[in-house]
Amino acid sequence: MIEIEKEKKKKNDKPRILLLIIFYLLPGWRVPEFSEQEYEIEKIKSKRRFFRHLLTTLTISGALIILSFVFMGIFVPWLTRFPLQDMVPPSVPGVPYLLPSPGHPLGTTRSGYDVLARMLWGARTSLLMALMPTGLAVGGGLILGIISAYFGGKVDYVLMRVVDLIYSIPTLVIVLILTQILGLNLIDMLMIWGAFAIAGNLRFMRSLVLQIREMLYIKAAKTGGALKFKVMFSHILPNALPPMILTFFGQMAITMLGIAAISFLGLVNAQIPNWGQDIAWSNIYQENILAFLIPGICTGLFSISAMLIGDGLRDAIDPRLKI
Amino acid sequence: MAKKSTNMVKYIIKRILMMIPMLFAVLTITFFLSHAMAINPLASEVTGWDMQIYYDEMERLGLNDPIYVQFLNYFRDFFTGNWGESYSGKFEGWLVTDIIITVLPRTLEMMIIPLFIIPIIAVKLGSASAKNRKKKKDIMIRSLAVIGAGFPSFWIAILLQYLFGRVLFEATFFEFDIGIYKANNVLLDPSFPTAIPPPSSLIVMLLLFILMIGGFYLIYRGNKLRKQDKPASKNYIIMLISGILICIIGIVPIMFSIYTYGTKFRLIDSIIFNEPIYFWDTIAHFILPALSMTLVSLAGITRQTRSSMLDVLNQDYIRTARAKGVPEKEIINKHALRNALIPTSNLIIGGTATILLGSIFIEYIFEYPGFGDTFFTSIISGNISLINGCVIVATIILLSSNLIADVMYTIIDPRIIYA
Repeated sequence: MIEIEKEKKKKNDKPRILLLIIFYLLPGWRVPEFSEQEYEIEKIKSKRRFFRHLLTTLTISGALIILSFVFMGIFVPWLTRFPLQDMVPPSVPGVPYLLPSPGHPLGTTRSGYDVLARMLWGARTSLLMALMPTGLAVGGGLILGIISAYFGGKVDYVLMRVVDLIYSIPTLVIVLILTQILGLNLIDMLMIWGAFAIAGNLRFMRSLVLQIREMLYIKAAKTGGALKFKVMFSHILPNALPPMILTFFGQMAITMLGIAAISFLGLVNAQIPNWGQDIAWSNIYQENILAFLIPGICTGLFSISAMLIGDGLRDAIDPRLKI
Repeated sequence: MAKKSTNMVKYIIKRILMMIPMLFAVLTITFFLSHAMAINPLASEVTGWDMQIYYDEMERLGLNDPIYVQFLNYFRDFFTGNWGESYSGKFEGWLVTDIIITVLPRTLEMMIIPLFIIPIIAVKLGSASAKNRKKKKDIMIRSLAVIGAGFPSFWIAILLQYLFGRVLFEATFFEFDIGIYKANNVLLDPSFPTAIPPPSSLIVMLLLFILMIGGFYLIYRGNKLRKQDKPASKNYIIMLISGILICIIGIVPIMFSIYTYGTKFRLIDSIIFNEPIYFWDTIAHFILPALSMTLVSLAGITRQTRSSMLDVLNQDYIRTARAKGVPEKEIINKHALRNALIPTSNLIIGGTATILLGSIFIEYIFEYPGFGDTFFTSIISGNISLINGCVIVATIILLSSNLIADVMYTIIDPRIIYA
């Protein structure tokens, strides 16, 4: 042991020129320390490549927009001087359709609410609107898809028939009817929307798992005596995750637009500030057009930036992935 | 070849038979859901607190029966063509089948542009942007697609309405009573026949139409045989004559019914009954709703085409074709696009139902008297039988569009064979 350490020291102590001479004269010879470093550099390089593909202008701008909306949603009470209670129907604060002024930077809406404050409070709602149903849909699809594909048999048959049934029902209409039954509760509607969106994710996840299940490393894990649960969630799941992350961002935009549309029809609780409802309440033929433009632009920017992040991630993870 | 086509027919029949239990399930679900809605369907009937009328009406419509009796009655009536009666609103007292027959053509003729013209443009745009990747053209098309997909369609619709209703106000009247920023919500024009065909006659008409297609096929095959140098048999004369006879048998009742009932498509009616002003009037009034539905489908199809096109352009056979010296235009249009269209076709045909349901918002904004508007008002006013009828029609359209998409796969990609 001591000798080896001594040798190492000797090698280190060797002058640089000698090392170079050996490097040039002996083919295939490498400095041992340097080759260790090389391995680490390769590891870092693959990460660097991922980030280099990821960090394009479009993706960064999308992420910045989403982050700014998150910032707005979290820090609303400090950004505006209007509390939430003054921004929802029972209170009637002021003059309708005021043009922009120092008191109201973007003017007022039909009922006299401040447009900027409605927008900021709406950002908080729309974060919930985008994340909750999508999380439910993608998470549910992930778990049920693995179960369906991995167990097969009767479980698979029943789940796929349910998926077929949901596919044959016009989802939007069922959501509209259910909102009439359950009352105009926002959380209920989001849950229903998410539950219906599970079907598509389940089918996609099932097809992914059916491909991965035949891979060699899964067979190796099985022969190694891994439990079913472990194979499912620690071997298959991480490999099926990247495409599902992409669908998450794609569906975030669709969900955002769909729920904005439902709230545009007025089928949502008016006690919660909501961009879709702002569009419905505003009247473009009146003086302050900003009351109409701002919520629409916000909805559009939110869904566009979600799509941009999804596109960027797809290019970075696997440019040839089909979604 | 022959075996493949018989397989195809078997597959289609199997799929149509599979649709029936699905339809049953959807019917059951929507029946119970619509009856669970907490809206009184006869709310508008109760005027002046004359409760006796209300009770009589409830008794007449069978709404006082227990739910399972109502369900069985509805099921029985559903297959005899009696889908119930609308309780309230614009169509009070109409039969549901009559409402759907008058209202669905209006929406369908509005969807000519988003359904048939836009996919062609979108596929062209997508392939163009994939061809010049990371150039100015590509960036322009992509940004258009992202904006179209990102902004809510109802918002765009209101903007368009504002543009033509306020900014271009005077220019939009031409010679019509109503400016084009607003839909013409006259349902039945007096200059066309206003009678509504019974659903049984529609089914007969459909069968006759299928018969006529068979007749045309016979004529086609007979003609092909006739042109051969050495005809295998002289059956072609019989084939031609029977084909022509079948066509005549099919076409006479159809022409007669069109003359008495009209087609309910205002565009076709105005051509048949020679009313050019109605033709231009109809086009002018559906152009804005159609345009605002366009952007969404355009964006989706363009994005899909671009990504699958980029995928295909990296394949080996494209490189082979280039090395062989095939012109670039031919590579794009024949070698690449045909393969790239496989995932896109699903989106195009499967998107039919999405567009149909997306028309709810557009028709709500433009007050267009179409399917979506009827659907939405029926949900709002708790018009149970109308909701059920509309859901069934939407489901049939959805299922059949899925079936057509699967059949189209085999035409676009002959390698796919359904066992």
